[in-house]
Amino acid sequence: MSGGSARSLGKGSPPPGPVPEGVIRVYSMRFCPFAERTRLVLNAKGIRHEVININLKNKPEWFFEKNPLGLVPVLENSQGQLIYESTITCEYLDEAYPGKKLLPDDPYEKARQKMIFELSSQIPTLLICFLRGQNKDDYSGQKEQLHKEFSKLEEVLTNKKTTFFGGKNISMVDYLIWPWFERLEAVELIDCVDHTPKLKLWMEAMRKDPTVSALITDAKTLRGFTDLYLQNSPDACDYGL
Amino acid sequence: MASLQRKNRFHPSVSFPLTHQIDLYLERDFPYTEPSHSKIEFGAGGPRLSAAVPGCERWLMRRRLESMAEDATRALGKGSLPPGPVPEGLIRIYSMRFCPYSHRTRLILQAKGIRHEVININLKNKPEWYYTKHPFGQIPVLENSKHQLIYESVIACEYLDDAYPGRKLYPFDPYERARQKMLLELFYKVPHLTKECLVAFRCGRECTDLKLALRQEFCNLEEILGYQNTVFFGGDCISMIDYLFWPWFERLDVYGIADCVSHTPALRLWIAAMKQDPAVCALLIDKNIFLGFLNLYFQNNPDAFDYGLSC
Repeated sequence: MSGGSARSLGKGSPPPGPVPEGVIRVYSMRFCPFAERTRLVLNAKGIRHEVININLKNKPEWFFEKNPLGLVPVLENSQGQLIYESTITCEYLDEAYPGKKLLPDDPYEKARQKMIFELSSQIPTLLICFLRGQNKDDYSGQKEQLHKEFSKLEEVLTNKKTTFFGGKNISMVDYLIWPWFERLEAVELIDCVDHTPKLKLWMEAMRKDPTVSALITDAKTLRGFTDLYLQNSPDACDYGL
Repeated sequence: MASLQRKNRFHPSVSFPLTHQIDLYLERDFPYTEPSHSKIEFGAGGPRLSAAVPGCERWLMRRRLESMAEDATRALGKGSLPPGPVPEGLIRIYSMRFCPYSHRTRLILQAKGIRHEVININLKNKPEWYYTKHPFGQIPVLENSKHQLIYESVIACEYLDDAYPGRKLYPFDPYERARQKMLLELFYKVPHLTKECLVAFRCGRECTDLKLALRQEFCNLEEILGYQNTVFFGGDCISMIDYLFWPWFERLDVYGIADCVSHTPALRLWIAAMKQDPAVCALLIDKNIFLGFLNLYFQNNPDAFDYGLSC
């Protein structure tokens, strides 16, 4: 599990070689919430992997051959196969690797996880606005919107009467949603879960999960990164190294 | 129609209460005889054949009668009674005859030969009970005999592929599955753009920019087909991703944007190949009926959804 804390590669860097057999590579960035999903799944399933961090403010030219959209996360295996879009990478890992299944086998339960995930689909967009400070004109309106989105998830937990979104144990949908809740403190929105007690309990349970706690980034570091990132600094992605 | 197969009433792939009657009707009243004119008449008992027809045409007629029967129910609106539970051995789809998203799910039901019933919803006058099936009253929704509800068209399609036996529409290989899902991401702008073109066209507005944008999306898909050098998006055989794309391509003509594939020959070949697929064929909507629906829909007529149904 090497390289999670390695310096990011930028323009002019040589392209990495092929991925050795028995290992899968993830192109990532230490603070990216989308890439975090993939790293959570890699760790939860105990998959041998290497991490190559990409400088998202100064992308290497070769990276566009890995993903024409130039976004992280991207998986590359030893057969040279490339998979991108965070949810697709997560599902691929669950299907391709043995061990603990994060998505249920039962077709309905699997569909249910995907429907719950759809319910959360507005949260990344809203939080990105807050992270970028793009909503000064309508701060309270956007906060209200966030409350509404959180209430949808609260309703799921209330109806299910379980700690996690998939049942009494942590599973795929919890890992997919987590990175956004991890960032609430950094944008001073942690009070948004005051109205949603079950969601608050879910957050506490998530923090106790070994996989989640191994990859958690504290609010101060996230703020440090975000400030530099918003200034378009090429050093943002390596903040704290 | 190269892939026609003769199906008899014991064929497991399609059975629906009404199709058994259609079989008996066809076999009793229309034995295999010399070719003759075939015509479908609409009478009090529902659609029927009016003359003897040869074997392969009988099969085609049977399929059309079945799909008309399956889908030929009037849309339920406000004040309608909620439907009862779904009988065992059947799955229900809440749908609308002209909705492209529902069309995806109906294609999968058809392709996998899944016994199902269709309840059409009047989207301009939704029944109150429908919000117990979907929080925002959207279609499609699947409901099974265990009262489980599944929605979002892509999720519903994947559920059907997972839950039902027979031919798998998603590949087995995890990488190939991921590839189909990545292709679906490439498609995401198409539904919105085609809808905007339709609205502009219907309201007599300019849509050159929209059509240009749509052409660009089609170029991206053309590039994939070129790179893969296959007829279908999933390889040499039709698979899930093709069915997920299809409804919008079927609508290009009636939406007035068929010329948007003029620069994309591989895509045109794909369209032609899709039209040969039995599931696609069985659900193909008659152009005049679609236009009739669109006329009423854009006049905000709540009867739009039932356009073309007999009595």
